[in-house]
Amino acid sequence: MAQLFRPGANTIAVALIVALLVLPVGAVALSYFMWESPYATDQNMTKAQPVPFSHFHHVSEIGLDCRVCHTGVEKAAFAGIPSTHVCMTCHSQIWTNAAMLAPVRDSLASGTPLHWQRVNRLPDYVFFDHSIHVAKGVGCSTCHGRVDQMALTRQAQPLTMGWCLQCHRHPEDYIRPRSAVFDMAWTPPSNQRDKGLALIRQYLIHTDHLTDCSTCHR
Amino acid sequence: MPPLRPPFAAIDRRTSLKLLASAMSVAMASCGRPEEEIIPYADMPEGLVAGEPQRYATTLCLGGYGRGFLAIAVDGRPIKIEGNARHPASLGATDIFAEAEVLSLYDPDSSKIVQHKGAISNWEDFETNWSKLARSARIGLVTGRILSPTTLARIDALRGRYPSLRWYRYEPINDDAERQGARLAFGQVLSCRAEWEAADVILCLDADPLGHGPDQLRIARAFAQRRATAPRQKIYAVEPAWTLTGAAADHRLALAPGGIVEFAKAIANSLGASLGPIRLAADEAAFAEKVARDLRQAHGRALMLAGRAQSPEMHALCHWLNDKLAAPVTCHAPLDPVMEDHGQAMTALAQDMRSGALDALVVLGCNPIHDAPDRLEMAQAMDRVPLRIQAGLHADESAAHCQWVLPLSHALESWGDARATDGTVSLVQPLIRPLRDSRTADEILALLAGEEQRKAHDLIQGTWRAKAQGNFDNWWRKALSDGVIPGEAAPPIVPPPPKLVAPPPALLSTGITLVLAPHHSVWDGRYANNAWLQECPAPFTKEVWGNSLYLAPEDGNKLGLADGDSVDLSAAGQTVSAPVAIMPGQASGVAWSAIGQGRRKAGRIGTDVGCRYAALLAAPFDWRVGDLRIAKSAKALVLHSTQTHTQLQGRAEELFQTTRPGARAEAAKPPPPSVLPVPSRDDYAWAMVIDTDACIGCNACVVACQSENNVPVVGPEEIALGRDMHWLRVDSYAVEKNGQARRGFQTVPCMHCELAPCEPVCPVEASVHDHEGLNVQVYNRCIGTRFCEANCPYKVRRFNWYDYSGEQAYADQGDALKAQHNPDVSVRGRGVMEKCNYCLQRVSRARRTAEKEGRKIAEGEMVTACQAACPTRAIHFGDLNNADSDVSHKRQDARHYTLLEELNTRPRTTFLKRVYDDGEGI
Repeated sequence: MAQLFRPGANTIAVALIVALLVLPVGAVALSYFMWESPYATDQNMTKAQPVPFSHFHHVSEIGLDCRVCHTGVEKAAFAGIPSTHVCMTCHSQIWTNAAMLAPVRDSLASGTPLHWQRVNRLPDYVFFDHSIHVAKGVGCSTCHGRVDQMALTRQAQPLTMGWCLQCHRHPEDYIRPRSAVFDMAWTPPSNQRDKGLALIRQYLIHTDHLTDCSTCHR
Repeated sequence: MPPLRPPFAAIDRRTSLKLLASAMSVAMASCGRPEEEIIPYADMPEGLVAGEPQRYATTLCLGGYGRGFLAIAVDGRPIKIEGNARHPASLGATDIFAEAEVLSLYDPDSSKIVQHKGAISNWEDFETNWSKLARSARIGLVTGRILSPTTLARIDALRGRYPSLRWYRYEPINDDAERQGARLAFGQVLSCRAEWEAADVILCLDADPLGHGPDQLRIARAFAQRRATAPRQKIYAVEPAWTLTGAAADHRLALAPGGIVEFAKAIANSLGASLGPIRLAADEAAFAEKVARDLRQAHGRALMLAGRAQSPEMHALCHWLNDKLAAPVTCHAPLDPVMEDHGQAMTALAQDMRSGALDALVVLGCNPIHDAPDRLEMAQAMDRVPLRIQAGLHADESAAHCQWVLPLSHALESWGDARATDGTVSLVQPLIRPLRDSRTADEILALLAGEEQRKAHDLIQGTWRAKAQGNFDNWWRKALSDGVIPGEAAPPIVPPPPKLVAPPPALLSTGITLVLAPHHSVWDGRYANNAWLQECPAPFTKEVWGNSLYLAPEDGNKLGLADGDSVDLSAAGQTVSAPVAIMPGQASGVAWSAIGQGRRKAGRIGTDVGCRYAALLAAPFDWRVGDLRIAKSAKALVLHSTQTHTQLQGRAEELFQTTRPGARAEAAKPPPPSVLPVPSRDDYAWAMVIDTDACIGCNACVVACQSENNVPVVGPEEIALGRDMHWLRVDSYAVEKNGQARRGFQTVPCMHCELAPCEPVCPVEASVHDHEGLNVQVYNRCIGTRFCEANCPYKVRRFNWYDYSGEQAYADQGDALKAQHNPDVSVRGRGVMEKCNYCLQRVSRARRTAEKEGRKIAEGEMVTACQAACPTRAIHFGDLNNADSDVSHKRQDARHYTLLEELNTRPRTTFLKRVYDDGEGI
């Protein structure tokens, strides 16, 4: 009768034992890694939009301010996406026949809004307010990246809770003077921490409350 | 009504393995997130900021009387009703009916499209059909009470076109007796309004001015103002069954209807009338004597009120007594232009239909088949009219007997105007375009009359263009933004001296008299399809989804009935069945219940809920049935209640603490030490104080909370299992003082304990404190162990056993109702614990607003939804760190106490004791 276990069986047994130990740990580690990775967070992904709107063109080349279109950013939770009428303020004068802008003209003619794909998305149980962040010196580029350099808009940061908490725990590392909030090219100075701490006092930021669950979840 | 579905039907091993395998493969394949769209406006309305709430003044009617409110819309969706301080019928507060209108707006059962004989039709076809009617056609128009100047003008125009138009105006809850009483006393119909705040002694004879109704908010506010100032207003209530006024009164006497007439005569005799011998028991006579003495002593500040179920002669006698007492009463000409009695109108309608006196019938915004007693056989009578048209919010019982069914617009999607009980006019403005192919009452009447002007907006402007002063556009804008039109209140009239009328003895039925009142939440049945109102607990029994019969304990013993038994009631050959609740403090010989339920065609929510007592009635709107026969029923009907104990084995006195007027405070003891960490109080320390002496138990806070916080409805089957979702409940207490049965209310939201027992037991830290002292529930962390609920001594935590807000919602009505949800509040899913969070979204909004402006939240800036709704301002909320805040002062009050203080939970929600004036020996 032939051997039930051939010599190779030892190797398989060792491999199996190792796999039994490594695989579950590896699977958990992988899922943690995947969870935070751009694959799951959609970071740096561009999406098909009805019109390939270029922030690079409108901000860097033409020099429009963020607030021309995102009118709610200083007064409301939602920064606001411009209505078709806002687009057509300029585009009824320039590029009036551009094929690229046909959906905008159709929207104006029919009164049907454009359907944009959301790029920066938070879960429904997170209640984020743009206006308070702007008022307390959190710049656009801190969360949205160099939108002025984006030909097609993408999500610049992971937008995970851990990422939010970096700033909610240590706002002094990130906040800037109010005057620089809309400055896309702003970079933290070498003494950011000291300046940040001074701004926290100046803007009356209650750092204790920043890590309360109820600040964002309700 | 379909009950809640369990998540899965019973599944076998094979199916569960299949599901497990498919779930795993789906999970592996679906690492990405679903795409989400942003849809901006094509043309954004001026002044709108996306996602921010906007307030518009508008008017909602109850029984035809307008009440001005502010409706809040977010991105064009009305989501909440708040009070309008400028309107005399709101004074900044709301009631349950107003709060619930926002749910009615989105009701998926609403009439959606014009129907002809059950088939889909359209307005043009209807008009073509209608215009075939000859001008001589005898048209019957049936409506509720109409005081709107524009609608009245439309009816005039309709009469101009069809001169033989007959207008039948009726309200099931009406003022027939009041009007006839004024005619008897003054020789003319007058509306008399009590100036509650000016009275020191008030006697309510079967009257419930603090109960639900178009004037509740005004009177409740005056009541609260008097409770807050000395001397304490003395309220006497003499009534057959408990009312909110009876519960608020210091002295109450339960008397059967016959006894109330005798009581009134006794008062009259001691004030100078001679109405013959009085048939009252010795203790009742003594009570009457003391009341009469108090009334006499408070000459000029004493007031008497008779209830709407009392006879006209009783009302006349009240007028005479009020005149004798120089009572603070203001009279004005009646606002209702129709002189016919409501009951007569209903009888005449049935007769005219049966005799063939009508060629066409238009039922506009009312439901005569439900409202009429069965004896009138309204449905059969209606079928004899050749052309029948119903226009209403729902295709209801009356619509089932009409060929044409027209959808009527909801008030929140209509232009209109309405008059309040004092004559003040306010505009109704739409917050949203009609959700269905509906038209307003004015538009329908204009169509029927063939008027050229057909748009409600133009019709309303047409009415007011002539009356406005100065530039019309400015006037119009101001009237809209203020929510009141100045100078329209009815001018007071000095009435002629009233005649003394002897009331006939009420039929002293030897058996039991059935006394019916408006339902505490569905009113006359018009709100039956509103799930918030169906699940709004009755003041005393906390009954939901029904209208059981209340019996006095003596009668219960006599008949061998106990709480929860079912009975068959019969009178004049008709029988109905209802569950029974035994009510200590109800007059013996009285069986009490509420009308409005037992709708046969209300919609998915309201159909076949409760009992229809109209079968027993002899005449329309005569809400008393003598010689009722009660027998134990073979049916097992269920009384659904959210509170089953009112006396708590003698602990009621500890939980619902009472005191006497002017009692001194006991010295406050420092709290005992605790091993739990005490939360910091460095920023704000939010706290609430609830004044149980001001609370009248009206439930406005309960429905306001439901509306603000996306609180779902669970349905009767779940209630029967002891599950409900109200974040804030109004507990009803029965206490006895000096042999008198007393009732009291205690509003119980989350206590926000500083040392919260729910927190240490949560394994995932979903129940945590924030830096402002709020005990918050983090839904996205909660895994549903329910340890917190078990450890909460106040029982304020609510668990989502099913997906009550979504897929498994009660009577699964689809997605339409989601539009009502407050976007600032999470909609909780299945398996999640939830509870009151002091309107965290409002705290957060107030904090963000203040911080953007670089200041602290000002006193009074942060108002919770329950506090905003409260007509008696019984709920105080504010910052304890501010020693000058209202809530800090209230905490120093002599009546201040803490619920279950011995547990050392140090609640942030505390109470003020109920005051019972036991003085004067009564």
